[in-house]
Amino acid sequence: MIAPAVPRSRAIIRPAVQLREPRAGVLARRIVRLPPFLLAAVVLHTAVLPQLRPFHVGADGLLLVAVCAGLAGGARTGAWVGFGTGLLADCFLATPFGLSALANGLVAWAVGSLAGRLLRPGSWVLPSTVFGASAGGVVLFASLGALLGEDGLVTGRLLGVALMVGLLNALLGPAALAVTRWAVGSPRPEVPVLEGGR
Amino acid sequence: MRRSRSTLTLLVLASLSAILLDARGPGVVDVVRDGAVDTLAPVRSVTAGAVEPVGDLLAGIAGYDDLEQENERLRHGVDELEGERESRTSERRSLREALALLGVPWVGDVPAVGARVVGAPVSNLEQTVELDKGGDDGIAEGMPVVAADGLVGRVVEVSGRRSRVRLITDPGSAVGVRLVGSGDPGSAEGEGPWEHLSVLFVEPGTKVERDELVVTSGLEGAAFPADIPVGHVVDATTRAGELSQDVTLSPAADLGRLELVRVLQWPLDDAAGAR
Repeated sequence: MIAPAVPRSRAIIRPAVQLREPRAGVLARRIVRLPPFLLAAVVLHTAVLPQLRPFHVGADGLLLVAVCAGLAGGARTGAWVGFGTGLLADCFLATPFGLSALANGLVAWAVGSLAGRLLRPGSWVLPSTVFGASAGGVVLFASLGALLGEDGLVTGRLLGVALMVGLLNALLGPAALAVTRWAVGSPRPEVPVLEGGR
Repeated sequence: MRRSRSTLTLLVLASLSAILLDARGPGVVDVVRDGAVDTLAPVRSVTAGAVEPVGDLLAGIAGYDDLEQENERLRHGVDELEGERESRTSERRSLREALALLGVPWVGDVPAVGARVVGAPVSNLEQTVELDKGGDDGIAEGMPVVAADGLVGRVVEVSGRRSRVRLITDPGSAVGVRLVGSGDPGSAEGEGPWEHLSVLFVEPGTKVERDELVVTSGLEGAAFPADIPVGHVVDATTRAGELSQDVTLSPAADLGRLELVRVLQWPLDDAAGAR
């Protein structure tokens, strides 16, 4: 016996209804909060973290901020904050100006994109994302630098440095995400949130 | 998603533009860089000073045994040096007079700017330190930097009030050197923090002694004046079929605990970009 042709029900993939803060409010909040936040991040990155280096490797504070901005604010916000923190980092490096901006921007955009699509709640998600993104960011920075002809970035210790930076950033991740969310957190979702998901 | 891709494209183009602008030479990028470094210098100094004891404590806990051994070794070293100092004074004077007669510059005659190390390496991938003096004090890019024990590195970035020095242990650093025993030249290259330096281009037949002093070569066009101690030989091996020896050096200067250094205002006309 043949069943009657009944159209199969489709999964609901319309965006969930969320309360949205007016764009002007988010912008005003960021204008007020981002400058002191970034200033504190630069001081931490250049004056505090270099002195706390277990095994001669320290956490990368500005890369951590970029990753957390991607997690807290999505791909676009992550890309902007990553670009900004990268430029600030470049001011204190001997490598080409713009190299960290490129690497941090790409990493934060990728994290923001993945955060909206793949990530599911779980206690392991934040540390493992920060670990992977930070380690990947270090390798990306070194690889892009090598492509631009910078000597001494891709060496035998690169992998060890990347893993150690990833580990240290993952340890600092929860605190950094809370502060970054305060500074850049936006309730505007940039990708559809599956109804019933999350 | 489309908007985020457009944003990313815009920012990638902006980053590449910044890289190209920087590659073109001194200009707006240097103004931005110098402005940021100079503006934040006081805040960073105060913060670093406040955190320093914590960093020292952690380093002390991690390396307590090493410190004890090093103290013992240094005590012996001081006793020996006290004895040698008197005899070396007259030799030094003779050398200086001989070099003056030949018209060869001596490192002691090179004008220098004293500076304090105020910043540890910011990046995990480059070995640089920050000095509290900059272009306003007569420091320029390319100038050699020395500590009491030997060569530290070379100035790579200068702002008005600060300068950044690439240490000789940085993997991107290369120094023209000479083995004191044989007089053979070579090139000492960095291998990373707290690693030994590798000396390249030392001929297989050259006799290299353990603990032998290695100094800057000062060959024509060199970036460093001659006879600055670079390090001591730790190991030298020749592999079958190789055209040069594998020589490793321990840096003469204690690069992990730099405090005061001298920036040599070495003539840069011919030295820029040279080893």
